[in-house]
Amino acid sequence: MNDFMLIRKNLFAKKLRAILMIVSILVAFAIFGVLVAFEKAFNAGEEAAEADRLVVVNKINFTQPLPIAYFNRVRAVEGVRQVTHFNWFGGYYQDPKNFLIVMAVEPRTYLDVYGSDLIVAPEAQEAFFRERTGALVGEAMAEKWGWKVGDRVPIASNIFSQKSGARSWDFTIVGIAKKRKPQVDTNFMVFQYAYFDETRSFGKDMIGWMALQTTSMSLNDQVSKTVDAMFANSLYETSTDTEKAFNKAFVAQLGNIALIVTLVVGAAFVTILMIVGNTMALSIRERTRQIAVLKTLGFSGQRVLRLVLGEAVLLALLGGLPGIGIAALVALLVRESPQQFVPKIAVTPDILFMAIVLMLALGFVTGLIPALNAMRLKIATALGRG
Amino acid sequence: MRSLLLQIGAATTINLKSISQRLWLSISTVVAIALVVMVLLAFLAMAYGFARTIAGSGAPDVAIVLRGGSQAEVNSVITRDQVRLIEEGPGIAKTTDGKPLASAELYVIVDGVKRSSQTKANLPLRGVGQEGANVRRGIAVTAGRMFSPGSNEIVVGKALIREFQGFDLGQSVKFGSSQWTVVGLFEAEGSVFESEIWADLPVVQSLFNRNNVFQTVRVRLDGPSALAPLKSYVENDPRLKLDVKTEAQYFADQAAQTTDLIQKLGWPLAIAMALGALAGALNTMYSSVAARATEIATLRAIGFGAFPAFAGTLIESLVLAVIGGAVGAVATYLIFDGFSTSTLGASFTQVVFNFSLTPALIAQGIILALVVGLIGGLFPAIRAARMPIVSGLYG
Repeated sequence: MNDFMLIRKNLFAKKLRAILMIVSILVAFAIFGVLVAFEKAFNAGEEAAEADRLVVVNKINFTQPLPIAYFNRVRAVEGVRQVTHFNWFGGYYQDPKNFLIVMAVEPRTYLDVYGSDLIVAPEAQEAFFRERTGALVGEAMAEKWGWKVGDRVPIASNIFSQKSGARSWDFTIVGIAKKRKPQVDTNFMVFQYAYFDETRSFGKDMIGWMALQTTSMSLNDQVSKTVDAMFANSLYETSTDTEKAFNKAFVAQLGNIALIVTLVVGAAFVTILMIVGNTMALSIRERTRQIAVLKTLGFSGQRVLRLVLGEAVLLALLGGLPGIGIAALVALLVRESPQQFVPKIAVTPDILFMAIVLMLALGFVTGLIPALNAMRLKIATALGRG
Repeated sequence: MRSLLLQIGAATTINLKSISQRLWLSISTVVAIALVVMVLLAFLAMAYGFARTIAGSGAPDVAIVLRGGSQAEVNSVITRDQVRLIEEGPGIAKTTDGKPLASAELYVIVDGVKRSSQTKANLPLRGVGQEGANVRRGIAVTAGRMFSPGSNEIVVGKALIREFQGFDLGQSVKFGSSQWTVVGLFEAEGSVFESEIWADLPVVQSLFNRNNVFQTVRVRLDGPSALAPLKSYVENDPRLKLDVKTEAQYFADQAAQTTDLIQKLGWPLAIAMALGALAGALNTMYSSVAARATEIATLRAIGFGAFPAFAGTLIESLVLAVIGGAVGAVATYLIFDGFSTSTLGASFTQVVFNFSLTPALIAQGIILALVVGLIGGLFPAIRAARMPIVSGLYG
């Protein structure tokens, strides 16, 4: 009979109690896995940001427009490797509830600036440059709606209308963009700015915002100061920031998601700390005589300590690992849900690693005091007690 | 019957008195249930507070006119000609000098700095005309004065000041290259308008390069029934491809999206946590039954029935659950009720709102606690009732 077997036998001596504790630990770790995955999904924009990418927006607010003339002026700034521009389209498919991320872009510079994020086949790139009504669709969006290259899709806008009065534009899907890095979200569609600007009924020659890549990230500060100074005191002043800072500020607009996650996960862990800690203490007290017998048989105090700690750690792992498994399953279901606005959550290896560290910590914290008591137990008093 | 009640009373008293022997285990159950109730109530108070702010903003006798399909004020565009045609429509209340009570408005988004995160956030700047405050009810300037027509002056909502910095009375604010002065603070009965900045319409139009462009028209109706005639008037004019709805309906639609999301997070989380707490409660109650095996057997031996043993255990569990639920509700009330925060609303701007815990929400929390207590006590209670007397006495 080795020590592991002894630990296992001890843990399941009261089967129902062990199972109940495992369930409560499992629930806490499932909550941990899902919520941390949610938080990470919200911060994905910040993580996907390239260090040498800057965003130029109207200083009043990023929803205010800039003149198209700024594009060439920014392009000429020293330290700017490439710049591209965007217009938010306010798109939806069939029903306003099916909100889509659709933007009008300048195709060549767009694929140049975002080359480190996206993989687009050369023939798809060519078609995107050539086809006036062509649209490049991210893999996630194409999968969601079952779109393939060559499909014609009508996309309506809740902001713009065509000069003809139509509220909808027909696009031909010319290519599917795949992600080059795991953090990149491919739930988007982009189409030619030239086509957009010619057909829309108002706002001509205006753009939404620009994204630029510097020749080196050490020039970021200098470039953003130069750009903003260039347009100071004009009708359209600009504010230039790193893509990372911009994305971070945007997520902060939704609310303090990190705080909500911390509070809920904290509540879940306090619950299991109390339940498991007290139950471990109770079950070691109940086993005072057995431990005394082990010691009589020659088990050293340290070995008894290891046995009790091992039991607590085993319990934490037996509850925690399936809990993370359930979190991964929930993440999978959420990813496939047709709901809008649901971020693409995933239980990543670093969440698993964090969870295992927490399981070990939980085992040690809940097992330590009972284990120390068991180690210090005097055989004579323990056997005399009953 | 009387003797059964007496037996239940006696068994329950023994149960409750014995809690002190399992004090820590019982406390951990109470705390677990309290935390479950807190998580649920915090989410519900957040959802309710948000919904109350948004939904409370709309009047049933004010109609809002938006360009067809635009859904939110920020997306809409309305021309001067269209504004004129709407003002000529039927069912619109008149001012004392006979003009239609209508307000054409421009809604632009400007940056503000959120106090809590020190990051930029989207704030609404609403250009309103003479009738802006009259079409709505309950607009009151609480400090300073209203902006004067034709000047670069703004008045700021009371809620906005709380969450965003740089808009104190007398302060100068820059939106791009234009300079504005805060001349007043206003209240709007806790509605979403308190999260806005207001300025004179023509000044906003000119400084934001939107001359002759409007985004919405609000009109005060003769009564809620006047909506239908106005609607058909707009539908029958080919120059007006516009959506007309009551302001109440407009804001109710907006509130639904976000509160739905908050509730879809809150209930599943609370139910998952309740399962964890349930495991703790079952554990505690089984320990209670095991610890009192001899007592239960003794009671049975002196003539107590199985039901009092069952009831005593179940009541002990319910008492622990009610204490947990009450602690959770009181803690949520003390920590979260009235807590002010802001999030991005449907118009892509910050909406400031307070968490609001109502008796109806607390009832939901207590019910969840009771369900945990009921299930957590039921199975151990059945075990207590079925406990064989002889082996119990030798236990």
